Formats: sequence, C-alpha cells, structure tokens
Amino acid sequence: MTGVNCGWRGSGSRWLMPAGCVLLGCVVLLAGWLGGQLVTGLIGLVVMAAFGLFIALAGRSETIRGLRGDGRDERFAQIDLRATAATGMVLIVAVIVAFLVEIARGHDGSPYTWLGALAGIAYAAAVAFLRWRG
Amino acid sequence: MKNLVRALRIEKGLAQGELAEAMGVSRQTVNSIENERYTPSLPLALALARYFGVTVEEMFDDRG
Repeated sequence: MTGVNCGWRGSGSRWLMPAGCVLLGCVVLLAGWLGGQLVTGLIGLVVMAAFGLFIALAGRSETIRGLRGDGRDERFAQIDLRATAATGMVLIVAVIVAFLVEIARGHDGSPYTWLGALAGIAYAAAVAFLRWRG
Repeated sequence: MKNLVRALRIEKGLAQGELAEAMGVSRQTVNSIENERYTPSLPLALALARYFGVTVEEMFDDRG
C-alpha cells in the first residue's frame, strides 16, 4: 500500500511523556528537599511517577496514545491545540478572578498581578510572532 | 463535510484501519472523516483523493 504519511503517527516515543513525569517529580522532590519539605517532595515524586507509569502502561486507546505522544496525527494535533487553548483560558480566568478577590480583600494582588501580566504579554507576543511568520 | 470516503473505501474492500495505515493517520481519524465530524487538512484530502483516483471536489462536497 502507498504510505503517504499525512500525520505524525508514531513519531513520538511512548516513553517521553512518562519520563517527563518522573523528571518533573524529581524536580518537585528537589524543591521540597531544598525548602525543608521532604515529605511533600516525596509525595509529589510518587504522584508524578505513578501518573507516568499509568500513561506508559495504559492501553491503546486514542486518548492515552495521544497523551503519551505515540499516536498523534493531524486530527489529534488539532484536538491538542484546542485542549491547550481551553486550558489556557481556564487558567487566565482563574488568575483574573483570584486577582480580583485579592484586591477586594485589600491585598496588593500578588502574585496574580504578574501572572496575569505574563499571560497577556505571552498572548500578544505569540499573536505577533505567528502573524509575522505567516 | 459530506464526502465519499466511506463509499470509496468499501468499494475498494478496505477496512478503516487499512485506509488509516495507508494515509498515516489513526483509524479514529478515518472514522471521524467518514462521519463528517472532522474535515481533513488539504494534504490529507489530496492524499485521499489521489489514493482513490478521484479529484478532491469529487470526494468532498462543501455545499452539503
């Protein structure tokens, strides 16, 4: 059969995401250790490693393979893009609401002030860059 | 978008998985195209049309 390869199917390693989870867990452990919260760091490592293991060993459903990175094609790339945008929207709304609550409580709004500013700048920069790139 | 993917695939005696393999996409993507839930990219539409020996206009109908 003619293989035309219109997607990225199989291009990603199934171990990349689980390895990333374990690596992030190790960073959490290191941060906890540095901050004198070793138990919190250990819990973080265990949770991240468990999630990584689950992703690595879970079945062959499209969602799992997509999350893992070894079953992505153009449709899943579109799903990933929309999911990322939705996640960003939720985070931005949460930051704005938290900022308003902090202001209403008479605080200075930290750290939500700079988080909101960072989100706004990142969005504007991304729009400018993507428009320039065509 | 309305299309003839399912009809042409069945005419050729292919399973969704076989067509997906040939196109380098997942079986779910082929299923979504056939059920008009996903509109393929231009490269994939061209590849599908070429694979079945028809034009893109014959395969996809955006007026439906």
